[in-house]
Amino acid sequence: MMGTETELTDDIDQPLRDRLKAHPKPALLWGIGLCVLLLLEGPTYLDGLLGAIGYGLGVLPGAPGAEAFASASAFFGELPHLLSRELIPNRGYYDGSSWQGTFLGLEPKYAWLIRFLLVYVYVAVLLGWLWYGYVLFRRHYRAADWTPTDDVIDRLRSHYWGLFGLAVVVFFITMAVFAPVVGPTTAEENIQGPYSHEMQYFNEDTETVETITIGEANLGSASRGSGDSNVGIWSYDDFGRFHPVGTLVSGKDLFTFLAFGARVSLFIGLGSMAIAGFIATTLALVTAYYKGVTDLIVVLTSDSVQAMPALLLVILATVVFKNHWIAEIYNGAMLFILLFALIRWPGLWRAVRGPALQVGEQEWVDAAKSYGQRPTVIMRKHMAPYILGYLLVYASLTLGGVIISVSALSFLGLGITAPTPEWGRAINIGQQYIASQSWHISLIPGILITLVVTGFNALSDGIRDAIDPQSEGAEGGATGAAAGGGGG
Amino acid sequence: MSRATYLLKRLVLSIPVIIFGTTVTFAIIRLGPLSPAAAILGPQGDARAIRQIEERLGLNDPLWEQYFNFMGDLFLFDLGQSWVVNSGTPAIDLIISYAPRTIWLGFWAVLIALGIGIPLGFYAGLNPNTFSDYFASFGGIVWRAMPNFWLAVILVTLLSQSEQLFGFSWTSFIVETNVVTSPNLAVLKNPTRLITDPGQAWTNLAKATKQILPPALVLGSASMGTEMRIGRTAVLETINSKYVETAKAKGVSPRVLVWKHIFRNALIPLVPVITAEAFILIGGSVLVETVFSINGIGLLFFRAAEQGDLPLVGTLMYLFILLIVGLNIVQDFAYTIIDPRVGYDG
Repeated sequence: MMGTETELTDDIDQPLRDRLKAHPKPALLWGIGLCVLLLLEGPTYLDGLLGAIGYGLGVLPGAPGAEAFASASAFFGELPHLLSRELIPNRGYYDGSSWQGTFLGLEPKYAWLIRFLLVYVYVAVLLGWLWYGYVLFRRHYRAADWTPTDDVIDRLRSHYWGLFGLAVVVFFITMAVFAPVVGPTTAEENIQGPYSHEMQYFNEDTETVETITIGEANLGSASRGSGDSNVGIWSYDDFGRFHPVGTLVSGKDLFTFLAFGARVSLFIGLGSMAIAGFIATTLALVTAYYKGVTDLIVVLTSDSVQAMPALLLVILATVVFKNHWIAEIYNGAMLFILLFALIRWPGLWRAVRGPALQVGEQEWVDAAKSYGQRPTVIMRKHMAPYILGYLLVYASLTLGGVIISVSALSFLGLGITAPTPEWGRAINIGQQYIASQSWHISLIPGILITLVVTGFNALSDGIRDAIDPQSEGAEGGATGAAAGGGGG
Repeated sequence: MSRATYLLKRLVLSIPVIIFGTTVTFAIIRLGPLSPAAAILGPQGDARAIRQIEERLGLNDPLWEQYFNFMGDLFLFDLGQSWVVNSGTPAIDLIISYAPRTIWLGFWAVLIALGIGIPLGFYAGLNPNTFSDYFASFGGIVWRAMPNFWLAVILVTLLSQSEQLFGFSWTSFIVETNVVTSPNLAVLKNPTRLITDPGQAWTNLAKATKQILPPALVLGSASMGTEMRIGRTAVLETINSKYVETAKAKGVSPRVLVWKHIFRNALIPLVPVITAEAFILIGGSVLVETVFSINGIGLLFFRAAEQGDLPLVGTLMYLFILLIVGLNIVQDFAYTIIDPRVGYDG
């Protein structure tokens, strides 16, 4: 390795900063574009970030500084930005001749649709811009003309099934991240405290504009199957509110419920996979490097964890920790993150153990050892990059399983508690109305879960075929086990 | 290593696995924030009653003593009693009365999954890249991603209202049954009645089978998708292997080729899937039994957990761990018989 480097021209040895200095124009333009994109939505990001920190501090004993973060978050929340319901309001009332209070006086459904689409256009542009940045880097600033990663990316780009998965995952994540904006109404008004918020509507009988609490209005927009009380897909209720996928039995807006439910699912899925992935990677590297007794201990531990019935263990833990402070954080989402991390790491570890053992046998690891590099550095720099792709494949699969498990538990009435929305609870609520005109309550969340889980599975297939084109289908057994685990 | 020593080694290695799982259960139940005595009595329990139950469960003993008592009792199959769900009944009696329905459900779930998943997968593998292959593969993928409780809920609705929806009444199809109910398995406990009292007994058996089919279909759905997918790849891989080509060149008829050379080898990778199914069944039975209200072990576990019957929960957990470990050993052993190439060292 050392030999080849000295033979090449010297600009390979230049650090990235010098290469940028030598030819700054594309990078500068791209940077300006990125800043514009981020500034359009800057207040939202800061609001969310500071709010999360404030919430995290609030959980700690004494809540140091939580208030400061909360007020800073509120300050940014007030600032104007592109994707906000203040800029494109979709709620108003029809005064007999035109719509009042909505965006450009449009019908609420078009106003909502514009905002909804704008969110997705924004995300698409942002992702496209990031991709363009990568292309620029490849063209102007990367020292090597070609790296193996290029092939991986090219394979993924022509893997339509994987791209479909990626699109679904991006759709889902956007819905979760921009939950307060994509819904036709907000969680605070419609789900958490409907009786402490008011709205105006046009009473056709008296032909006057009247004020009503949202809770009372919800009573009139309930979907209960029979007779008049149903607000189905793509329709208005009696108060001029638009419901893209109808309302719940309680009259609350289902789309808003789903968007915030996506947030909870995503939070639990990503959180538990991050922790489980970290445990799995660390153990895989350590066992592949040291082998012997360490390996045996981890094998036995992971076998033991896998011998426990996962879903039943989670049910038991949810019951036992019901009134514990840890179950209070985000209505039990934190407890789920820890539980699923502890239960799912063996699966991930088994998936990356093979690749880790393989890379441990490589000459470059031997070479690094003989140069006297520290084991931690060898594992991190020379082994970890090789197994991360495999980790991603299985984490994506397992994440789908976690989403199903969480919704299954809230279907049973365990875990995420009302009023925090969870998709499984909507399925439970709408159970008896499936055959009636209010079928949307149960069916739409179920279809969404199926779609999202299929998306994560497809993405996982795509990444697997991209990093390891020979492997196609060969390890279907592991795939099945990971997805099946979520079948519960 | 001979097969017997291999089996012995697997048995010895399973001991720490069982101990670990049982210890975790003990830790959650006895060290968790919810005391078993408080759970049994609920929030209204008065202090004296709590003390009494604590005394009877031995909760005031030193922790290590509690631990050894707990483990010892379970390992000697002294399974304790239920405190809330069916107060005072020995756990073993409860399990004996609840288990048959779960086994019946699991039996049909495995059978349906095998009966549909494998043939479909093999068919797709024998006709790769045709429309029916894509259809079956895509169906398998979506089918696998469906949450099974959702599927169960939909199936219950469709079947119980099939008359209005499709003009075909599932409830009066062949024999009169309800959709959401426990199957009556009395006839299986006394199989001689099939001969002595054929009219009644066969009707009962038909009823029990018909009632179990929808939940079994749901429970087997995830594995069905997996089996299909793996069956397809296995067939594709076998078809392209050299010995199949040799057989073809030798002039083996297509039928013999498919049945003798391809199918039998393609079945090997399906073994772990079939046993892995058992784990899914254990978790999934809780959901499916709840939706179809089948009085099985899964529902018993859920009720026990929900009502705070922690001693019973611990016992059931221990039995599930034993079941899973046992199935794992059976699977590895079956593997060595079916595929002699699998080493005993693994």
